[in-house]
Amino acid sequence: MSGAAPVPSGPVVAVEKLSVTARGNRKLLDGIDLDFAPRSLTAIVGPSGCGKTTFVRSLNRMTELTPGLRIDGRVLYLGQNIYGRSVNPVVVRRRMGMVFQRPTVFPMSVFENAAFGLRLVRASEDEVDSAVTEALQRAGLWEEVRANLDGPALALSGGQQQRLCIARALAVRPRVLLLDEPTSALDPAATQRVEATLQRLKEEIVLILVTHNVAQAARVSDRIAFLHSGRLVEVGATGEILERPREPLTMQFITGRV
Amino acid sequence: MSGTALAAPALAASDDLRRDRSGGVWRRTWFDRIVGWALPLTVLVAVIPILDLAYWICVRALPSFTLATLTTNPSGAGGGLYAPLVGTLEILLLATTTAVAFGLIGGLVTAEYLDEAGAGVVRVTANVMAGIPSIIVGLFGFLAFVLAFGWGASLAAAGVTLGVFMTPYVFRATDLAYASIPPHIREAALGSGARPIQYLLRVATPIALPQVLSGVFLAMAIGVGETAPLYLTTSAAAIPPSGLFVPAGALSLYIWEDFQNPLPGAVHIAFEAAFLLLVIVVGLNVLVRLIGQRARRRLEGLFQ
Repeated sequence: MSGAAPVPSGPVVAVEKLSVTARGNRKLLDGIDLDFAPRSLTAIVGPSGCGKTTFVRSLNRMTELTPGLRIDGRVLYLGQNIYGRSVNPVVVRRRMGMVFQRPTVFPMSVFENAAFGLRLVRASEDEVDSAVTEALQRAGLWEEVRANLDGPALALSGGQQQRLCIARALAVRPRVLLLDEPTSALDPAATQRVEATLQRLKEEIVLILVTHNVAQAARVSDRIAFLHSGRLVEVGATGEILERPREPLTMQFITGRV
Repeated sequence: MSGTALAAPALAASDDLRRDRSGGVWRRTWFDRIVGWALPLTVLVAVIPILDLAYWICVRALPSFTLATLTTNPSGAGGGLYAPLVGTLEILLLATTTAVAFGLIGGLVTAEYLDEAGAGVVRVTANVMAGIPSIIVGLFGFLAFVLAFGWGASLAAAGVTLGVFMTPYVFRATDLAYASIPPHIREAALGSGARPIQYLLRVATPIALPQVLSGVFLAMAIGVGETAPLYLTTSAAAIPPSGLFVPAGALSLYIWEDFQNPLPGAVHIAFEAAFLLLVIVVGLNVLVRLIGQRARRRLEGLFQ
């Protein structure tokens, strides 16, 4: 697929000693170190409240939308600290797109939803047209909506809406896509289609998938990072983690006991 | 689970379905029926006086209502309603401009930019403002615009005073419209790399606009019939205003004055003015419904 720029040799995202502290000195994340290589799908798993959502939100500075959070440590995007003084969070979010638990389409046409990020940077009509088509194809939605691009996005099914959200994020050609439990509001068939989309996308860009569903992580990820109480307990290849976890806590989680 | 829970639950005293009155089943059924009848009845109680009023206004206004009523100026206890009709529309235009300027900006800032405490203070203030009797708003307009600003009894004074009266309605509609946008929509927009102002203009405003517009038209429907804010700030001029700082007549003022006028025929003018106001108010309300319907179709599924 043409969208991606040349693949860098080092990690695309490197997280160094990342801590997130809420009001009252409550640590949501505690000293996380984790690298993300190009063309990979890492599943972030862990029990509710372990900090996995906070983790992905801190990767593109969405944490700043929640008042009272303090961030320590560094998140390097191609070697540049995204929390650096002269870095604009808006620019960071254009490089690292985000997809949420519930589909969040806007009340506009399918086309305009996919074009949203491009309109923000005043892309030309030709650019918008080709980028939207490409994004919808990459998100695996093109065949279903090509005849009805001007129809309202809110009329799509939940699964289609979620893939449209993926297309909206892809249209600005990010190197990283952050997915926060993207299938938790979808039925099994829609989930399967989103997962198929993710499996294709991981050949192109960095995917970071938060999920509470170990079976989903097993199906789509190359690597699993297990978080517990704000700490990174263990990270490793998906097969390793599922079959031979080093930590007893990981074992307890994947067997459904935490 | 143990195996002892197989006995029939204690509640089912009898298996005769027609005689089972346990748990107040019959009482509840009857209560449901009574409420089911009472509710439409209360609607009827509310609707009948309105229809009755509208009917009698029509009956007393229409026989003498001609095209000349709309095109000629009032003269003594006769003539048409051209001047007050124009005056009403001009006052309303000025008032709406004022109310939108303050109410829209206030509502937007409150919903989007203020923290919880600040927004609370503004909302309480606006609610208090909406509760101030309209004659007191009129008195405020008299003291501020007519006297202190030196505008005299005029179109400007009446328009701005009525605008002050309408502001809390526009404020409330705007605040509610923006504050009720689901937070995940905001997150998605910002997560797509939108600057906050881009979110506001491209995503939030198209969602909130119908509700804001409805609020504006509703404020107009409430404001257009108000007499008290105008009573001290303009006078029942018999010709259309020639500028901002000359008195402008208004339909509501003509109803008030002509209804008390002992001259024969004056009361007809009052009813004709009432009829015109009724048409404007009904028209504005129909507009509000239409906007609401279109918006519901467009935004269906967003607020789940």
